[in-house]
Amino acid sequence: MTLLRDYAAGLNQPTLSQLTPDGPPRFDEVIGPDGSLRAPWKRLAEVVANIDADDMRRVAAEIDRFLEDDGVTISRPGERPTRWRLDPVPVLVDAASWKQLEVGLAQRAELLNAVLADLYGDQTLLAEGIIPAPVVLAHRGFTRIVARPSVTDPRPLVLSATDLGRDADGAWHVLGDRTQAPSGLGYALENRRVLSRVMPELHREADLHRMAPYLWALRSALLQSATGDLPDPRVVVLSPGSHSETYYDQAAIATNLGFPLVQGSDLTVRDGWVLMRTPRRLERVDVILRRLDADWSDPLELRGDSQLGVAGIAEAVRRGRVRVVNGLGAGVLENPGLLPYLPAASEHLLGEALRLPSQSTWWCGDPDGLDHVLSHLDELTVRTIDGSDLTLAGASPERIRLTVLARPWLFVGQAPLALSQAPSWGGASARASAIAVRTFTLRYGSAYRPLMGGLASVRDGGRSVASKDVWVLKEETAEADQGLADVMPMTAVRSLPATVPRVLDDMFWMGRYAERAEDLLRLVLVVHVLVADYRTRPRTTGGVSLEVMMDAVHRLTGRQHDDDDEDLRSILLDEDRVGSAAHALASLRDALTGVRDQMSLDAWRAMGSVERATAVLEGSRHSHQIAESAGRMLTGVLALQGVTASMIRDAGWHIGVVGRHLERGLQITHLLRLTVERRGIDVDREVLSAVLTAAESSVTHRRRYRDYVRPAGVLDLLLRDPENPRSLAFSLDQLRDHLAALPASTGSTRPERLLDDLVAELSGIDVSALVAIGGVRRPHLAAFLDSVQVQLERLAVAVGELHFATGPRPRSFGALPVREEVTV
Amino acid sequence: MTETASTRYRVEHRTTYTYDDDVTDSLGVGHLLPRSLPWQQVGSYDVTVTPAPSDVNSDTDYYGNSVLYFQVTSPHTELLVVGGGDVTVSVPVVDEAALARPWEELRPLVRRDLPGAWQAADFALPSAGVPLHVGVRDYAAASLVPGRPIGEAVTDLMHRIHAEFDYDATATTVTSTVAEILAKRAGVCQDFAHLTLAALRSHGLAARYVSGYLATEPPPGKERVVGADASHAWVQVWLGGDDWLALDPTNDQWQNERYVTLAWGRDYGDVPPLKGVIFTEATTSTLAVSVDVAPVPS
Repeated sequence: MTLLRDYAAGLNQPTLSQLTPDGPPRFDEVIGPDGSLRAPWKRLAEVVANIDADDMRRVAAEIDRFLEDDGVTISRPGERPTRWRLDPVPVLVDAASWKQLEVGLAQRAELLNAVLADLYGDQTLLAEGIIPAPVVLAHRGFTRIVARPSVTDPRPLVLSATDLGRDADGAWHVLGDRTQAPSGLGYALENRRVLSRVMPELHREADLHRMAPYLWALRSALLQSATGDLPDPRVVVLSPGSHSETYYDQAAIATNLGFPLVQGSDLTVRDGWVLMRTPRRLERVDVILRRLDADWSDPLELRGDSQLGVAGIAEAVRRGRVRVVNGLGAGVLENPGLLPYLPAASEHLLGEALRLPSQSTWWCGDPDGLDHVLSHLDELTVRTIDGSDLTLAGASPERIRLTVLARPWLFVGQAPLALSQAPSWGGASARASAIAVRTFTLRYGSAYRPLMGGLASVRDGGRSVASKDVWVLKEETAEADQGLADVMPMTAVRSLPATVPRVLDDMFWMGRYAERAEDLLRLVLVVHVLVADYRTRPRTTGGVSLEVMMDAVHRLTGRQHDDDDEDLRSILLDEDRVGSAAHALASLRDALTGVRDQMSLDAWRAMGSVERATAVLEGSRHSHQIAESAGRMLTGVLALQGVTASMIRDAGWHIGVVGRHLERGLQITHLLRLTVERRGIDVDREVLSAVLTAAESSVTHRRRYRDYVRPAGVLDLLLRDPENPRSLAFSLDQLRDHLAALPASTGSTRPERLLDDLVAELSGIDVSALVAIGGVRRPHLAAFLDSVQVQLERLAVAVGELHFATGPRPRSFGALPVREEVTV
Repeated sequence: MTETASTRYRVEHRTTYTYDDDVTDSLGVGHLLPRSLPWQQVGSYDVTVTPAPSDVNSDTDYYGNSVLYFQVTSPHTELLVVGGGDVTVSVPVVDEAALARPWEELRPLVRRDLPGAWQAADFALPSAGVPLHVGVRDYAAASLVPGRPIGEAVTDLMHRIHAEFDYDATATTVTSTVAEILAKRAGVCQDFAHLTLAALRSHGLAARYVSGYLATEPPPGKERVVGADASHAWVQVWLGGDDWLALDPTNDQWQNERYVTLAWGRDYGDVPPLKGVIFTEATTSTLAVSVDVAPVPS
């Protein structure tokens, strides 16, 4: 029995179906009423017939691995990012059904654009009562600062998203529109990429519209959004930051379009123009694809407490000096209160009947609407028109009634749509789950074009629990993908690296944390060997060496457990333990996330293997797993260094290398400072051997000194030897080269001067004098290492101040403490 | 109607911010130019910013107010903004017939058929600075009794607020809420305006916030003291069509020829005389404001 046959059989036996027997009848996306496959699936019957539960299990596992390797996440407000989930079974739409839907979606975008232009322009819809004024005026998305006579934007809507659901007859209904800063296109791209890899045969046989030409069209539409006739307009994607809910989506879009992903602090307004801070100069920005809600976009005229926006951006928009896509006022359309009035608006503005019906909605600001809602509270969902936080979920009918009556204009009642169902993989079989589909529509040339594809969500109790890819099938193979034969492919597109200060900051820390993680992992590996060998033999040479090394570990990471194995585990697993390898890896991931648009996907594959090693260690109590996982984590970190080796040699890359070698210098001096003391010849030799291994220099040492381990030789190799890539001297050389390559460097900047001093100090030392003994200690060595550490830390601060300080944050007039208020 | 007396004023409104360190970038938005109105003629009038801004732009906002945008990019420790010029004011003429209509007939959210109701609706809805408040609604109910002519009803409300609330600059701050004002029974002109707006809107009437100046008269026998005047705020209530009744709960009177109207909006947040954003390492600032509204002998 195959997967879909089982699924169909399940549908015919209501008792076995997962749908509640008294639930609403649903349209099934795959199986028709007669139990046979629906049209689009019929075409794939042969391939599908061979897919069984084992295949699905394998495919589902591969999907998870791909999504993990690519670091695909989503978060809900106030929650940690979670893995993006993709169901293996796509939603299929054949060419004939798509055509109908396509016309409806294009018309809807045309209408929404016209509504937007009217609401921010002549307001004929309001003046003539076609849309009741309070539905718009009470909505927090109505942005009065761009509703001025001086502002005209004939195409305020460039990219919109519409959520659709099907009723029991299979007819599509609009559930809502996303016009402010629609998300999901990046997830849809990733879904397609993954699904086409894990089910290549199905993907090939389906003969579906590829998505690439749509991206080319989006890129071209954004470039053409620039006002005036610019030969080479600068487009950026404005993100609220790496902690925003759909950051992955934002970075994916930026990467795919080849536009830099920036944050508010990367931009500034001068004389009504929006400029991007780059290391050498301020560069004009012509088009901003906005992923930041309008409210937060401008601390000057909108939310004054916003640290995410750009002060003055609204003024630049009003003067037509920058195009923000979608316009700052577009959020007013994310308003279910408009739905009942769209048919009349369509007649008024387009002279056409509205094609796509919306979910049945009643606005409570209208007396008839209010009556209807209040007398059908048991059947309707009541919510606010702008999602403002008056949660009515679970409230009693009486409470809902009173809340609505207090401000009726703020509420709608909506009849829930049954939604269609489709098979979704449940781990053992495919079960019927409700789905909704997000579609995307783009203004391209003179018309709106829906994406032939989309992002479906599997719903469980109103919440989205997984996504599905949407495949729109071609009528014939020769048909152009997306019906866009004429779009120029993005041949010469390379992501313009936005080496804004914030990016340099992240790259610097990426370099530092990668090095820190690497060095700590090597140390854990070395110490774990000592633990395994000597933990039961205290007071032996080995036992004392273990004590010395473990003590060094504790000085670096703080001690958390008495048991050595437990402590090493925690160094690998506890992200909250400052100084631990886990902490360094988590910080590395944060820094990587901040520059996601600049990094190859391989970087996430490397981090994916680190995560898998973490997961294995979490599930195992065996001591040997500590070494096993630490080894795999180390391999992942080294793979990441390999990925950065293929990066373009821009300022970001150079500052990453600077970060890495600064950290390497710090780590080696820390390690030497904590270990090279006098405890007897045998112990010292054992400890020095461990240090050499932790510093990845034992092979070199053996070659140079055979097995004769003594302090002077080790210190020479780790501090002075310019040929040893692990030595302090080597790192200082690297620092000099890569600092010099940074745009702000002149040869005499503070970081360069500090480095020169340090190099001079190092070249002036005499190793034989350093190892001189004073009691049980080596006072000269200690003093020297302390001095190096202080200088390296000072250098790190100076690098930050020169190369990526972003200056003060915006503050409102009067936000500074006022010393006294004087009325003259 | 008969010709009403008019007065010509010379206005100067100075705002000075002083910082303890350089401000390297300062962006500002000001509502400092008076509106041209049937009862108010604006002569030569302008706003100057010191240090000289690198960018200045004048515009008309959504409510028809003059609004000024500026950016100062030369480092400074003092920012001076002066709005000033000539303005001639008479007493606004109010339609007696409109004042006599029962107040319930003038609720734009209910009477969407009335001319101008769709625009007035903007001022009948709660706003960020004037949220709905049950206590305020109850307070206003004593004035807004069924069937009462609107002019009489809102004037009664004004009398009561003036009588029952203390003018006390220490009672509230620029961010005080309507609930706090009601609880303390005290505030300044901006608070009384917001309270009156909340009271009227909670009963469905449309009312807007007016920002401007009031020329104060010197006490008998004393010289006019320059700078004794200040920024002022009062309200306007919708009477249908384009008719509004302007009244000042702080001084218990309808607007007369001593009121200079700068701008109006839903609340203070729409029309602050001056707001802005600075980029600086400074840690403290000093604010000094002076307003002078001097009659010009004709």
